[in-house]
Amino acid sequence: METLGFLAHGFAVAMQPEYLLLALIGCTVGTLIGALPGLGPVNGVALMIPLAFNFNLEPTAALILLVSVYYGCMYGGRISSIVLNIPGDEPAMMTTLDGYPMALKGRGGEALGLSAVASFVGATLATIGLTLFAPLLVEVAIKFGPAEYFALFLLAFVTIGGVTSGSLAKSFVAACLGLLLGTVGIDPVSSVPRFTFGTYEMYDGIDFIVALVGLFAISECLVFLEVRRDTSKAHVQLGSAWPGMRASLPCAGTIGRGSLIGFISGVLPGAGASLGSFLAYMLEKRWLGSKGDFGNGDPRGVAAPEAGNNAAAGGALIPMLSLGIPGSGTTAILLALLLSMNITPGPLLFEQHPDMVWGLVAALFIGNLMLLVLNVPLVGLFARMLQAPSWFLMPMVVLIAFVGVYSLNNSPFDLYMMLAFGVLGYVLRKLEIPTVPVVLGLLLGGQMEFNLRRAMSISGGEWSILVNSGISVGIYVFAATLLMAGLVYSLLLRRRLA
Amino acid sequence: MSELSEAHAQDNRRPAPVGDRIAGAILLVLAVAAWWHSHSFVTGFMQPVGPGAFPRLVTIPMAVLALYLIVRPGFNERWPDRAGLARQLAVVVLLVVYASLLEPLGFVPVSMVGAVLLIRLFGAHWRQALLAGVGLSIGLYLLFEHALGIPLPDMPWLELIGQGGR
Repeated sequence: METLGFLAHGFAVAMQPEYLLLALIGCTVGTLIGALPGLGPVNGVALMIPLAFNFNLEPTAALILLVSVYYGCMYGGRISSIVLNIPGDEPAMMTTLDGYPMALKGRGGEALGLSAVASFVGATLATIGLTLFAPLLVEVAIKFGPAEYFALFLLAFVTIGGVTSGSLAKSFVAACLGLLLGTVGIDPVSSVPRFTFGTYEMYDGIDFIVALVGLFAISECLVFLEVRRDTSKAHVQLGSAWPGMRASLPCAGTIGRGSLIGFISGVLPGAGASLGSFLAYMLEKRWLGSKGDFGNGDPRGVAAPEAGNNAAAGGALIPMLSLGIPGSGTTAILLALLLSMNITPGPLLFEQHPDMVWGLVAALFIGNLMLLVLNVPLVGLFARMLQAPSWFLMPMVVLIAFVGVYSLNNSPFDLYMMLAFGVLGYVLRKLEIPTVPVVLGLLLGGQMEFNLRRAMSISGGEWSILVNSGISVGIYVFAATLLMAGLVYSLLLRRRLA
Repeated sequence: MSELSEAHAQDNRRPAPVGDRIAGAILLVLAVAAWWHSHSFVTGFMQPVGPGAFPRLVTIPMAVLALYLIVRPGFNERWPDRAGLARQLAVVVLLVVYASLLEPLGFVPVSMVGAVLLIRLFGAHWRQALLAGVGLSIGLYLLFEHALGIPLPDMPWLELIGQGGR
C-alpha cells in the first residue's frame, strides 16, 4: 500500500511536461539507435551521457532521458532483426530466427506489430516487478555495512564473469584491469597521487564517461572498418503492423512465460537481456514441443524473445537502483551517470531521493506506452531509416562522440583518452576479453576500495571483519556457488564444442 | 561476447595461442609493475589500509590470471586482414589529428575535412563523401551550437583575419 502512494507521487513528478518531453525524445532516439545494426543500448546510452551532461539536466531529468533511451533500444533492436535479418543489438539476436522468415513470407508487418506488443507486455510486467521488489530489497540492503558492500561488489564481478562470458579467466582479468585503472588519480582518503606519472590531467583519475564512449562507440566503429560492406540492402515487403496486435492474443501465454523468464534473468546481476531472450526462446521452444514451428516463422518465436529481453531490461534496473550494483553493461553506464552527479544508488537513494526513484519508475510506465504507440503506427518510418548507409551512420557516431566528450571539459586531452580507450576496447574484443567487466571495475573500484578501507578502520586493521557477519558470509557463499556453476557450465560448453 | 553470439560467430573464431599469450604477457608486466610502483605510495598516519593496499590486492589475481592466459590460451575473434588494418590505422591517425586541430582551427573547417575523409574511409565514393561530410558537419554544428546551446571550438583565425583587415 505504501508503495502505491509513492508510485502515485511518482506519476505526479513524471507527468511534468518537461519530463514527458524528455521521455518522448529518449524513446524515439532509443528506438532509432536500437534499430541501427551495430549500435545497441550500451553504445546508445554511452553516446547520450556526455550530451545529457552538457544540457545541464538535473539528475531526475537525465535519468529519465537515458532510461527511455535504454528501453527504446530494447524495442528498436527487433526492427532490423525482422527486416534485415541483422540483429540491431545483441539481445535481439534470437528474434532473427523466426522474425526474418516471417518477413520473407510477407508477414513482416505482423511480426513487427506482434513483437511491439510482446515488448510492451514484457517491459510493463518487469516495471511492475521493479515497483514491488525493489523496496523489499532496499529493506534488506539498509542493514548492510561496509564489509557487506565489499562482498556485494565481489559478487557483482563473479556473476558478470560467470554468466555471460565464454572464458572466466578472461572476464576476471578484465575486471582486474578495470579495477586497476580505477585507482589512477589522487587517492581520496590520503590525497596521494597514484599512477599519474606526474601528469596533472590524470589527477582526477580516468573519467569513466570518456572511457565508456571510447570502449563502446569508438571500438564499434573500428569493428565496422574491418570489412568493406555491401551497402545495398534487400527490400522486404512489410505490410501493416496492425494485424500483429490481434495476433498477440493467441500468444498471450508465450508472452507471459517469456516475460517471467526474462525478468528473473534480468534481476540476477550479470545475466542481462541477451540471456533473457535466449532462455525465453529456448524454453518456449521446449514447452511447445511439436506444437511449435520454430525457426520457420512461428509468431511465438518472435513473441517469446522480445518479451524476454524487454523484461530483462526492466529487471536489471532492480539491483542497480536498490543495491548500486549494475547487472549489465547498460545499467553500469546508468550507474556511472548517477555517480558522476554525486548521487549514490543503493538503499539510501530510496530514502533521500524518493522523488527521483518513483518519478523514474512512473516515467518507465509512461515511456512504455509511448514506445508502443511509436512502434506500431510509425514502425514503417523506422524501418525506412535502416536504409541509411553505414558509411554515413558510423562517421556520424564518431563526430557525436567527439562533440559530446570534448564539451565535458573543453579539453582535447579527453579526446585522446577516448581514442586510446577505443583502441583498447577494440583489441580486447578481438581477444575475446569482455569489455563490460573493465567498465564495471573502473566504475565500482572507487566504492569498493572505500568500503574496504572503512571496514578496516572500523576493525582497526583486522582483516577478519570482512567475514564477520552472516550476511557477508552468505554473499561469499552465493558468489562461490555461482562461480562453480560458471566453471561447470564452461566445461560443458567446451566439451560440446570439441 | 556471450555464449549466444559465440554460437553464431563460430566460423569467426580461431584458437589463438599467440594473441592470448601476448595479451597475457602485457597484463602480467602491467600487474608486476603496478605492484612494484604501489610501494612508493606513502601511507598516512593512523591509516590501517594505505593507498597502496587496494592496488596490490588487485594485482595479485591479475598476475595469476595473466599467467593462466599465457599457459592456457583460448580463442580470439578473427583479426582483420591487412587492408582492414590499414583502414583502421588511417582512421585512428585521422582522429588524433582531428582532435589536435579542433581548438587551433575551430570546429567547422576541421570537421568538414575530417568528416569527408572519414566517410571516404568508411567506403563511400568521393562525391558521396563530399556532400555527406559537408552536410554532416554543418548539420551537427547548427544542432549543437545553435539548437542545443553546446559551445564548440570557434574559429580563432576568423577573428585574426577580421582584425588584420581593420
